[in-house]
Amino acid sequence: MLDPELDEPLLQLGFIRSLQVRDGHAHVALQLPTSWCAVNFAYMMAKDVRRALLTVEGIGEVSVRLGDHCAAAEIEAAVNAGKPFAQAFPGEGGHGLAALRQIFLRKGFLSRQERLLRELREAGCSAVVICSLRLGEVTAEEDAFVIRREGAAPLRGGSADALRRYLERRSELGLDPAATAPLIVDPSGEPLLPERIETYYRDARTARVALEANGAFCRAVLAANLRNHGEG
Amino acid sequence: MYSHDGQDIFVIDGHTHLWDASPENWNNKYGESWIKCFYAFHSALSPTEEVWPFDKFCRYGDEVLVNDLFRTGYVDMAILNSTYLYEFYKNGFNSHVQNNVVKAKHPERLILCGSFDPRDEEAGIEAFQRMVADYPIQGLKLYTAEWRGGSRGWRLNDPWAYKYLSLCRDLGIKNIHVHKGPTVYPLSADAFDVRDVDYAATDFPELNFIVEHVGLPRLDDFCWIATQEANVYAGLSVAMAFIHLRPKYFAEIIANLLFWLGPDKLCFGSDYAIWSPKWLIDKFIAFELPDDIKQEYHVDLTLDTKRKILGENAARLYGVDIAAQTAKLTRDGIAVERPG
Repeated sequence: MLDPELDEPLLQLGFIRSLQVRDGHAHVALQLPTSWCAVNFAYMMAKDVRRALLTVEGIGEVSVRLGDHCAAAEIEAAVNAGKPFAQAFPGEGGHGLAALRQIFLRKGFLSRQERLLRELREAGCSAVVICSLRLGEVTAEEDAFVIRREGAAPLRGGSADALRRYLERRSELGLDPAATAPLIVDPSGEPLLPERIETYYRDARTARVALEANGAFCRAVLAANLRNHGEG
Repeated sequence: MYSHDGQDIFVIDGHTHLWDASPENWNNKYGESWIKCFYAFHSALSPTEEVWPFDKFCRYGDEVLVNDLFRTGYVDMAILNSTYLYEFYKNGFNSHVQNNVVKAKHPERLILCGSFDPRDEEAGIEAFQRMVADYPIQGLKLYTAEWRGGSRGWRLNDPWAYKYLSLCRDLGIKNIHVHKGPTVYPLSADAFDVRDVDYAATDFPELNFIVEHVGLPRLDDFCWIATQEANVYAGLSVAMAFIHLRPKYFAEIIANLLFWLGPDKLCFGSDYAIWSPKWLIDKFIAFELPDDIKQEYHVDLTLDTKRKILGENAARLYGVDIAAQTAKLTRDGIAVERPG
């Protein structure tokens, strides 16, 4: 389960404070960094956690608690009854949650792709090679990724984790999964030209810094809040 | 004034508050949890020895502010934000009326920001004109994401916002600070979107738009807009505070801003009293971009760039002649403690 905006696991962020299952009923307590975290984000996280737990065999009911969040009661009531956000919070302006999720998914994609691009470059791939790589040519093997191209010796590169995380988002965006499809595409699935890759990389780099810095901020604030409340 | 290797650096703190969030002023539970949220920001990113007790943080008063900014915090001038939050605080959080008390005591030190809310429509126009007539308002601080009744915020390019911005142009209020920062409720996520700045900046080239908190966590969207618009600036508060706990991210944020916007568009801000200028400036002057970041981004944070960020850029925005202002400030009775 990921924070939709930060693209980091809720568990790793420390947002899940406890989980108990009794007679098929799961009780999960979330604690967000502050009681003022955006209501729509809080709703999304609570809903995702509930939905995931309901797929676990033996769990028939899930109750999510949101600690001292300022809209805890409304969010809990809506999520635990399976009520959509728009119904629970009528008048919430702007895009629906689906559009917001799509934005976060694209940003997460860019951020993960930036890391992979960096590792491909460090592994010695030129812009031309990076743009010509096919999905089927790059595989994760143990800790590293390996590039196998016709007519070239296999190249053992950087972190397999970087590749896996990128491929996960690539597939969630519904982009062409064929082994012959280009590995590196933009968020709408268009392949990149070698002369554009540097500009593209700079944009992705800023997206990655924004996400990571925000994640660091949320973690620090959560830790401080727990300390201030004597729970840290 | 900060002195470094015999050189004076004129400092304008672009983002400060003098709030009253004492329990007596809380209107409801939100008044309490709002200031606790700020306190979490404060205690999360400040060095341990700089963390205040909670009751001091709720209400510190103007003497503490003057001391922390001007006596010990190297700040020559500060931009004082006005934030109203009447739904949470009986007398407001830090309205321009409250802020003007300290502004009147130190007129040469403080730049007072007012505000408008386009949702007041016609009725607000007269109140806005009165505010500008009755108070020495030099800039505005706008909160596009503030909830009000059924509204989840507004956009700078809303028709009524344009009427108020036209009025600013006519009244000679040139600097518009816009809060685009961490997503907190009741400030809605959508209204933190920075794209409305793009429209307003294009349509009001005579005005300057200073995007506070550099749009974090939408730094990427902000950078993209700021590179398109000559009159869009970066307000560094919140980003500055990373310098202690997360210097790597501070380096990367600054490198990105220098890469996209260049050194002339970035303005220092502490967000006092969430964070204090003294430790931020001490660390900022001592800070160097790591070599790998310099090479990756092809930028550097030189002393000249630091001087621009700390004061010269904001001085240009507000028409402050640094030499003349420095001379004036030496006579204003605030005895500045020079760093030994």
